[in-house]
Amino acid sequence: MSQSVPVVAGVGMTRFASDRPDCNARDLLGEAVLALLVDTGMSHLHAVQHGLCSYESDHFNKQMTLAAILHDHIGLLPTPTVRVEGGGATGALALRTAWAHIQSGLCESILVYGCETNGRGVSSQTANQLFALSADFDWEMMIGGTYTGFYAAMMRAHMHKYGTTPEQFAHVAVRNRRNAQYNPLAQKPMDLTIADVLNSRPVAEPYRLLDCSLLSDGAAVVLLSTEAWAREHCPRFTQRPVVHYAATGCGTDTMRLGDRYPDITNFRAKQTAAQQAYAMVGITTPLEEIDVAELYDSYSGVEIQAVEDLGFVPYGEGGRAIASGLFDLDGQLPVNTSGGLLGRGAPVGATGIAQAIEIAQQLWGEADLRRQVKAARRGLTDTHAGIATISVVNIFERRD
Amino acid sequence: MVMVTSKKDVQTLSAVEGDIWAEFRQIERLNLSLTQTYVHTLGKYSRFFIELEHQRLLATRCATCERVYAPPRPLCPHCVQPTAWIELPGTGTVETFSVLHFSPGSNADVAALPTPYVFAYSLLDGASTLFPHLLRCAPEQVAIGLRVRVQFATEAVEHPIHLIYFVPME
Repeated sequence: MSQSVPVVAGVGMTRFASDRPDCNARDLLGEAVLALLVDTGMSHLHAVQHGLCSYESDHFNKQMTLAAILHDHIGLLPTPTVRVEGGGATGALALRTAWAHIQSGLCESILVYGCETNGRGVSSQTANQLFALSADFDWEMMIGGTYTGFYAAMMRAHMHKYGTTPEQFAHVAVRNRRNAQYNPLAQKPMDLTIADVLNSRPVAEPYRLLDCSLLSDGAAVVLLSTEAWAREHCPRFTQRPVVHYAATGCGTDTMRLGDRYPDITNFRAKQTAAQQAYAMVGITTPLEEIDVAELYDSYSGVEIQAVEDLGFVPYGEGGRAIASGLFDLDGQLPVNTSGGLLGRGAPVGATGIAQAIEIAQQLWGEADLRRQVKAARRGLTDTHAGIATISVVNIFERRD
Repeated sequence: MVMVTSKKDVQTLSAVEGDIWAEFRQIERLNLSLTQTYVHTLGKYSRFFIELEHQRLLATRCATCERVYAPPRPLCPHCVQPTAWIELPGTGTVETFSVLHFSPGSNADVAALPTPYVFAYSLLDGASTLFPHLLRCAPEQVAIGLRVRVQFATEAVEHPIHLIYFVPME
């Protein structure tokens, strides 16, 4: 199997922003592809054998069949393409699908391209309504339910069962936006205190404004291939360590939180996804065996739930472990070094791809020195849709 | 479907030194409005909403595994078999909740809710799953473990799910 394990041949992304008046979706993708050409040393994409388009929303993008349009825009015709959609997990699910394309031998190279215009194209009320369309329409959305509310209710249950506190999840809001200060492509770097978070206005209690992630415009691309293809076509490939896309897992759970009763504090699908991915590469003690991770911090407390579901710490220990600094830049397992969804931003279809880019750059040793994790050899991305209705875990390894 | 456009603004963004997109810094934006009307069937869930008009709160029960679904599921996902309707007493216990200060204003019923409002998940007596609902009470009053009961709306509503809401049990 090792013969066909995909390598990360190259990456490219735009800066994530709350508003890019100069770009529609295809313009954003064009910028990310130009960054990929610089990253790989390629002058065009003519040798790429397959495309894979990652975007979530026909509503936000006001365009159907966007995959075909984007494929044309970046010069990949007449190669095959396919669109993958999986809510918030779209980008990670797209990578997972591309992994299977390489593993199966269907192609030797595949460009995973993701973009989204979730920024200021609509009001935040409309954005909430459009996202709520991915909840259960007649039972949740129509009574004024929002994703912030669903996540908040989960966190309330976590607090009730384990004693998790707002100060503990505020630590995530502070740290991830601090990490974003060391990422020139991040949307919202901020220097905050715990008190700033606790004093921001309540949105859906216990979550306050600074506990919530961002609406973003942006694009991100990852070129996956066999090692032989990358050596032949990417001039810069041999100038840096080989990074394998070594493992992938995916789990699912009910659409409505209430149908998970009595397990409403955590993300079962994330546990499923992690266990699959860990089994592929023989990980049994993830906290010791993973060096860097990008976690899906759609809300600050979600990171607390994630470190438990990913098996980094036992259930109920997430809040205390996070507040102790275990996952800070100088901690045992730095997470969200990019700034995460809270600081770097989250244009949905590009989010999971941007997470993979951060991990690849960390493993190459090419991250900004202020956020570079020393001797990082194995990294993980955690991405989910809805309230982890679909969850994807991808693992990358440096091989040298 | 109705599509309406109007010009919003034209601006010239400043080009920085070495900007490869210097030729493309004049930007025009439009306001675009899409309005569309759907015929939205409530499908096999319809009887739940119809019975609310008769002040009856229904759930579905799977005869094989005996799970009771509220909200109803016409198809039991565990047994992959059709369920059957049963009536619930309309009382229950709050298992978790959030106080929402930001309303999505998704329809006229939601837009009319004063903020903050309480969005709760309760285990209804006789059910196996949590029912998401609005809880009309002061935000300070809600807590996990609070006993609640259904109330049937007397005013006209837009979406029939608003024919019910819950209140703390006296």
